[in-house]
Amino acid sequence: MHPSSRETVVSAEGIARSYGGFTALDGFSLDIPAGSVFGLLGPNGSGKSTFITMLAAMDAPVRGSLTVFGASPAPALRARVGTVFQENTQDPLMRVGETLTLAGKLFGLTGNTLRDRSRQLLQAFGLADRAGNAVSTLSGGMRRRLEMARALLHDPELLLLDEPTTGVDPDERRALWSTLLERERGARTILLATNDLAEADTVCETVAFVRQGRVVATGTPESLKRGLKREVLHVTWLDATDRQLEEVQAWPGTGQVTHEGDFVHIAVDDAASLVPRLFAIAPGAVRSVTIQPSTLEDAYFQHVGRRASAPVEVAS
Amino acid sequence: MSAVTAPGALFLRDIRAVLRSRSQLYSSMLMPLLFLVFLGNGVSEGLSPSKLSAGSFTAYLVAGVVVMASVFSSTFSSASYYRDRDSGIMRMFLSSPHPPRVILLGKSLAGVFIGIVQAMVVFVVAAPFVDFEWQYGLVPGLVMAAAAVVLLNVMLSGLAQALASRIQTMQGFHLVMNLGLFPLLFFSGAFFPIDNLPVWLQVLARLNPLSYAVDALELSAYANGTGGFFGLWLDFAVMAALAVAVYALGLARTPKLSYSGA
Repeated sequence: MHPSSRETVVSAEGIARSYGGFTALDGFSLDIPAGSVFGLLGPNGSGKSTFITMLAAMDAPVRGSLTVFGASPAPALRARVGTVFQENTQDPLMRVGETLTLAGKLFGLTGNTLRDRSRQLLQAFGLADRAGNAVSTLSGGMRRRLEMARALLHDPELLLLDEPTTGVDPDERRALWSTLLERERGARTILLATNDLAEADTVCETVAFVRQGRVVATGTPESLKRGLKREVLHVTWLDATDRQLEEVQAWPGTGQVTHEGDFVHIAVDDAASLVPRLFAIAPGAVRSVTIQPSTLEDAYFQHVGRRASAPVEVAS
Repeated sequence: MSAVTAPGALFLRDIRAVLRSRSQLYSSMLMPLLFLVFLGNGVSEGLSPSKLSAGSFTAYLVAGVVVMASVFSSTFSSASYYRDRDSGIMRMFLSSPHPPRVILLGKSLAGVFIGIVQAMVVFVVAAPFVDFEWQYGLVPGLVMAAAAVVLLNVMLSGLAQALASRIQTMQGFHLVMNLGLFPLLFFSGAFFPIDNLPVWLQVLARLNPLSYAVDALELSAYANGTGGFFGLWLDFAVMAALAVAVYALGLARTPKLSYSGA
């Protein structure tokens, strides 16, 4: 039975895990309410995949407390969890239908239940006409859709998605999310680990920012954006000095100023009034300026302090 | 959740994979048969060995080639661990509600089954050309030969699995299997009798698990007034103990999910 109330499905309290000298999780705490679409956002290596692996009971914290459905993750609990891993988990020599049949049997489905469920999911994810084809003949997007169908096959109460749309083109990505959310929103708890902030902003009800193995902020995308300056200036600024950036930060109405290489990001209340001053402070060095309303990415930038992807130059 | 469904599904999937990978299927069969045909006839006709109780060298080689087919088969079958790890499907297996040993059980049973079939094919192919004597009678002899083949393949499958879970690369795995098992084949009685060997080689032969398989197969298929090198009881006792121990060792360790570069 799927949880109907907003009870907590996942509860992590100060969990830690290291591999050799690398600390993957360090004091990681998080509660995920039942039936929500929850986003876990952080740069590569921030601990998202490690946390997902623990929820799938394939690893365990060395410190702290982790419960899924009120119990410590154990192999038997995996029957209630479906996982789309960051990498595909398919044998290219197997056929599409065989892949689902094998996965279904591993998760205890047999006979008509398995056949019907496979057929429905292949239909839903647009793979019905490829059931007899080898997995190796599928495109990257199709393989991710097959992963999604495989993870949903045993009707899990908790669906773990670890960067499920990596390598998927925008059309495929939109179709995949549309299918998934249309079918699944509210029906089960979904945890999406990603560093695609626009994707998380679109699909998640609640997000948590993760930095260096620790959750640094949690809330709805709207609540995380609240409190930010109204706009963000993305500036291509050659050889900006610390002194220049400090001067910009001291201007009234200016929020956080960060930079990586020649890209400078300035949170500001009124961007238009700031632009002439920028050109004045660094004549010739400011090569382009783009004004955008604050997004989840800016909230992320503020909390995590590092971008998930390189900034995109919009105007020059 | 059925404890049989999962290993059964994995068993069938691995069998299907081998049947689809024809090159693996044929190459692991062809090499032992080539030994039987060319080495057997070559030595029989060219050297006319007079000490062989089986009559011709081809007949003598049958037991050893059956063991060799099992060695090849277990080596090839274990490649599937690396294929499954590198394709990522092992991660899906291990995310199912079953403990790793259930997953490994299904996969290794497929390896055992393929090894048994390939070994028995050698017997069947050799039968028209070799005068098996079946000293204990045809049916008991066949049962004993089949039992020896089963125990041998269980042991080899366990060994291959134990090594595959510890060795990072398939190349390294094949190297270790070849370096380890080929010398063992040489002084197992597969290619020449061990009772006339120097003492130090006889000692090594007694420590060699494959010697007991070769001995049991020869005793099952041929008349041997001396009772073989070790004797049937010792052959089966050693093979059964090793099969159980090595197979359990093979199931004990969780397979690696990714290549760490070590």
